[in-house]
Amino acid sequence: MHDIIVTTGLSKAYDQKQVIHSLNLRVEEGEFFGFLGPNGAGKTTTIRMLTGILAPTGGTVTIDGHRLPDEREEAVRSLGAVPESRGFYEWMTAEEYLAFFAELYGAERMRIDELLAATGLADRKHALISTFSFGMRQRLGIARALLNRPRILFLDEPTIGLDPQGQEDIQRLLRKLNRDGVTIFLSSHLLNEVSSLCTRIGIIDKGRLIAEGTLAELQTKSKMKGGSLTDIFLRLTGGTKS
Amino acid sequence: MTRATTIWKKELRRELCTWKSSLWLVIASLLLSFTSYLLLTNKELSLLDQTELMWLLSKVIIGIALLVVTIEASGMIAGEFESGTAESVLLTPISLWGFVKGKFLSVLTLWAMLFVVSLPYIIVAAAGSGETLAFLAYAALLGTLVVIGFTAFVFALALFFRSSKNTLTTSLVVLLALAAPALFSGTLKSGPVLQTMSTINPIENVFAALDYILVDAKFSLLSNIQYLVPLLIFCVVTLLFLGYAVRTVSRQGVVQHE
Repeated sequence: MHDIIVTTGLSKAYDQKQVIHSLNLRVEEGEFFGFLGPNGAGKTTTIRMLTGILAPTGGTVTIDGHRLPDEREEAVRSLGAVPESRGFYEWMTAEEYLAFFAELYGAERMRIDELLAATGLADRKHALISTFSFGMRQRLGIARALLNRPRILFLDEPTIGLDPQGQEDIQRLLRKLNRDGVTIFLSSHLLNEVSSLCTRIGIIDKGRLIAEGTLAELQTKSKMKGGSLTDIFLRLTGGTKS
Repeated sequence: MTRATTIWKKELRRELCTWKSSLWLVIASLLLSFTSYLLLTNKELSLLDQTELMWLLSKVIIGIALLVVTIEASGMIAGEFESGTAESVLLTPISLWGFVKGKFLSVLTLWAMLFVVSLPYIIVAAAGSGETLAFLAYAALLGTLVVIGFTAFVFALALFFRSSKNTLTTSLVVLLALAAPALFSGTLKSGPVLQTMSTINPIENVFAALDYILVDAKFSLLSNIQYLVPLLIFCVVTLLFLGYAVRTVSRQGVVQHE
């Protein structure tokens, strides 16, 4: 197993404000990595830099051996992403939408039916996206991110706003993808979701990676043996549990 | 080019699937019909020489095209950033330059569609004058040049602003500022400053070239070089501005901090 996501001294500043401070992160191939942090901690900014759509002001990002931004095209071929901003072409049908992205990726068209079935949207393939519920849009976004058979999947709050059944469906799909060898980088506010899915967890606060490891390692680091991820998270980020 | 073509095809489908493009074509044909009706029935206008009438019509065609293209181009890129679709598209292997190229092709297609709508009016207006081909060729050439220049300018603004409203407002102000002097007669443009402005103004150059071609029957490209060169310079400058915008945005990252 090798490190498929590597950042060294990754930093981002807007005007004079430093929002990410020298982030050093390593995610191994095949890992299910959970990325946690309070609101405004820098999770989305980090994911955007890792996916190559936001330029860092310092440090380096290497995705599957390809350094950003110089080898962006090669890096992007290895990754799929469900970004925080989920805009869709409302006037397209689900099938047309995926066909458009398949063409951009150079992916085969037969993959569309496969993914529509995997995300439970097969019976809605000819329906306009404007008629889709929030959960259906989430699933369509995941289907889009999987078109190019990515080796790494970045997900920014993929189950937010979904009902329990929708959350369960997506979590099942993500587990299956991870079993199939896809490295998953998941940013979520749902701590139960992260603790049940992820093999390793990173916690970011005020732009700094304050802890990283398996749940057991985080319990040791936070001196909360047997504590839940919620307790650990609150203690490390200066929340109410102490 | 393949990925740019995918964007272009998507834009064409949007134009065909939604009412917007058809509405523009209907508005253009209504305006052209209204102008033609005025030219035939209005007491003073109907007394115009045929070549003067053709010149007036060519100005209306290019004026409508510029207005439509400016409005459409203002939302084409900025709208994708506002709705969040640009982020998904730019997460694929397409470059920002490829994305912009695809959009550019669709604006040129819209101009071509508007030109096709104006064809019957051009043919009828120029019938019997012996200038039909010159009218068609120069309206197409000059219109294409000025559309390229304006689209590049509007796209560059859209990349910097990421807001349809700001892009549209600024673009329309610039369009108005360039179009307004073109409506004044030459005697009002005395003094070196106004004359220089007049020489570099792309819209004035288009109208002056059409006057020279249609009214004065100067058909060769060489005899119109004094109008074509400033137009070409305008295109090069705006394309460079667009290139700068693409480079800057690519370097900073295609998404902005909220």
